[in-house]
Amino acid sequence: MFALISARKGRTLGGVGALLVSSAMLVAGPVSAQGSDTGVDPETWTPEYVRSIAGQTEPNTAEECSQVVPLDYSGSVDYWYVGPNEASPELEHKMYDDFWAAWEETYPNIEVNAQNLGYNDMLNKLRTAALGNAAPGVARLPILWGSEFAAKGQLSELSPEDVGYKTENFWPGAMKSVTQNNKVWGIPTNNETMAFIWNAGIFEEAGLDPEKAPDTWAEVVEYSKQINEKTGKAGYGLVARVNAGNTPFRFMPMAWGEGGGALDEASDSPSYQEVWVNNDGTRRAVQNYYDMYVRDKSVPVSALTNTQTENQDPFLANQLAMVIAHPSEYATMLDRANKATGDDKAAAMQVVDNMRYGMIPRGEDRRAVVFGGSNVHIFNPDNVDGDLDMEAAKALVCFMTGPEWSTKLAWVSSNPGNTRGFETVWMKERLDTIKFLDVSTSMLPSGIPFPPVAESPEIMNIIIPEMLQNALTEKMTVEEAAADAEKKVNALLNGM
Amino acid sequence: MSRRSYNAGWSLTGWVFLILLLIFAVAPMLWMLITSFKSQFAALKYPPEFIPSNPNLEQYERLLSPKNEVGRQFLRYMANSIWVSTATTILGVAVAVPAAYAFARFRFPGRQALFFSVLFRNMFPAVVFLMPLFIMMRWMGLVNTYSSLIITYLTFGLPLSIWLLKGFYDNIPIELEQAARIDGCTRFQAFYLIVMPLSAPGIIATAIYSFITAWNEYVYALTFLNDDQKLTLPVGLQRFFTEYATNWPGLMAASFIMSVPVVVMFLILQKYFVRALTEGAVKA
Repeated sequence: MFALISARKGRTLGGVGALLVSSAMLVAGPVSAQGSDTGVDPETWTPEYVRSIAGQTEPNTAEECSQVVPLDYSGSVDYWYVGPNEASPELEHKMYDDFWAAWEETYPNIEVNAQNLGYNDMLNKLRTAALGNAAPGVARLPILWGSEFAAKGQLSELSPEDVGYKTENFWPGAMKSVTQNNKVWGIPTNNETMAFIWNAGIFEEAGLDPEKAPDTWAEVVEYSKQINEKTGKAGYGLVARVNAGNTPFRFMPMAWGEGGGALDEASDSPSYQEVWVNNDGTRRAVQNYYDMYVRDKSVPVSALTNTQTENQDPFLANQLAMVIAHPSEYATMLDRANKATGDDKAAAMQVVDNMRYGMIPRGEDRRAVVFGGSNVHIFNPDNVDGDLDMEAAKALVCFMTGPEWSTKLAWVSSNPGNTRGFETVWMKERLDTIKFLDVSTSMLPSGIPFPPVAESPEIMNIIIPEMLQNALTEKMTVEEAAADAEKKVNALLNGM
Repeated sequence: MSRRSYNAGWSLTGWVFLILLLIFAVAPMLWMLITSFKSQFAALKYPPEFIPSNPNLEQYERLLSPKNEVGRQFLRYMANSIWVSTATTILGVAVAVPAAYAFARFRFPGRQALFFSVLFRNMFPAVVFLMPLFIMMRWMGLVNTYSSLIITYLTFGLPLSIWLLKGFYDNIPIELEQAARIDGCTRFQAFYLIVMPLSAPGIIATAIYSFITAWNEYVYALTFLNDDQKLTLPVGLQRFFTEYATNWPGLMAASFIMSVPVVVMFLILQKYFVRALTEGAVKA
């Protein structure tokens, strides 16, 4: 917790010089059936494939980064990021501690003034700092945030080639999230998708097959109703809070699955100009929400103000059966179970044993999930406090986006942004020690990135949740709510 | 119905109302305290444990022990909060007292307009001034300093402090000062020896208000400070949340500890507050 990690000094490494390790297999991988969305070939990227390629390489990060910035370079850079804190699993803390120790050893003369910010704090703080020309040199941001800063001209151009890597080493879908006006403004650090998690104990209690997840969203509605009727517990962990990233991360998979969207981000060739928020697919998804919340009352009554954090607690307390959750959920729960004492320990382990991970259900059109993750950006020197040390910034970016640290920093919760990470010995170790990682990895082919346009945060965090709230409070019908959202999105895109 | 039973009925209603009010005020605090003694898993159990089955002081030990990184950081945040809040309070009172006295006693052109203009700033939400103040602080090189917070908190707190204190000075008869002047006091001596003791309740109330406002402030502290070593407690508390999880026992323990200095300060100053109310006029 409270980890200020200020990496300052260490010993200098000796001379190095190496070529980037090739990764032809992975370079070839990201071309695909749903290529326009993520570039991840669902036929190739199966859990078995992910396991088969892991453990083949052990890249030397210092050698690779020395080709970009000499290891004896002296400088400093400010770095803001969302890192582990008191609510994070111990393992995540350890990985970050190891990262900073390795950084100090590799670049002993580059001082990094790192600030670990809370997820809920960072965006507004960064907006204010950038407007006041006091932004940090480097920031790692959740995937949805960077487009806003790029559109405002507050970022420097930054592509994988600038730090010694190849664009082909990163998921095309992830590269889309850092591309705007045909220019690249950042590098993916990690990419993940959510998975569908259910409580096998509650399923059994409700007379459902405890080992079988609902395959479609229509089944989720049915299961949720049955669970609520048979057990009195909440079925599905619906969230609809306004201005909370959790809401679009859980609603959009359903909307895309049913053939809808916010813009046309789910199409094969998205233009991000067409508005899909009022099409049949989106309306079908809103109707699913309406059926669960209003008609069946099978979801938490507090859903309108809930984020996933509010769902996690009843899920872990055995009071909620199904949620869309992050891959880190299992590690978080296991961490808590390990820390529990007395009678609580057995109960906690029971909950862990009952956790099941599965693919996100499909809609009438497809199976879909948000292609999530984080990207690292270098700010425009004009918006940075003081002089931007570009070399120091590049060294840091190179270090964290390489196959080693993009794997290790994503240890409990994500996948390496640099696909070469999948080949490493560390990836194999992860797969061998953390359950369910292969499930979320195998959801990657179904991943769809949020539209990389400046209006994305407003559309996803405000307009979409408001549409849901209008329908769920019956202030509007489903059709009226969707039409209202379409009007708002159009107005926003037209600069009104 | 007799007058006695009518009064008893009202009295009973009053007691019920007060008890409900007490529960409403105390229950969240009590729940916070109970949760702080639980493990992370036990805090999520349903039905909830009203008396923890395995109570422990783990969270308090971690937060208050300088032997571990968590404790060191937490104690540093607390020291930062105490410093910023105390400085804001002292400076605020030092400025508000003479300003309020001047508004109450002196007659000068534009007095009313100036007095209301002091309050004008408080008619806007604090967040409106976030960006302009940030830019100003940056021009002055004060971003990431405690001074940026102290100055900001003064701009928010002073108007109401001046307003509160002026009310106190207005109610102190000017004849008391005139009598002191006749007895040989200078204007400052009359102010210091006569008016100040009489206005002690107002000064203490103002100080408490300034301290609590600075102690709890979050948005400006988050925006102006970029160094983890300088953060204040409200910002530090956010470290118990992630996007996906919350450490409830840790958060509750930290919140409870955070409330202690304010409660202690209030309990100490309450004594002076009551004494000033009951004795000040007699002494004068």
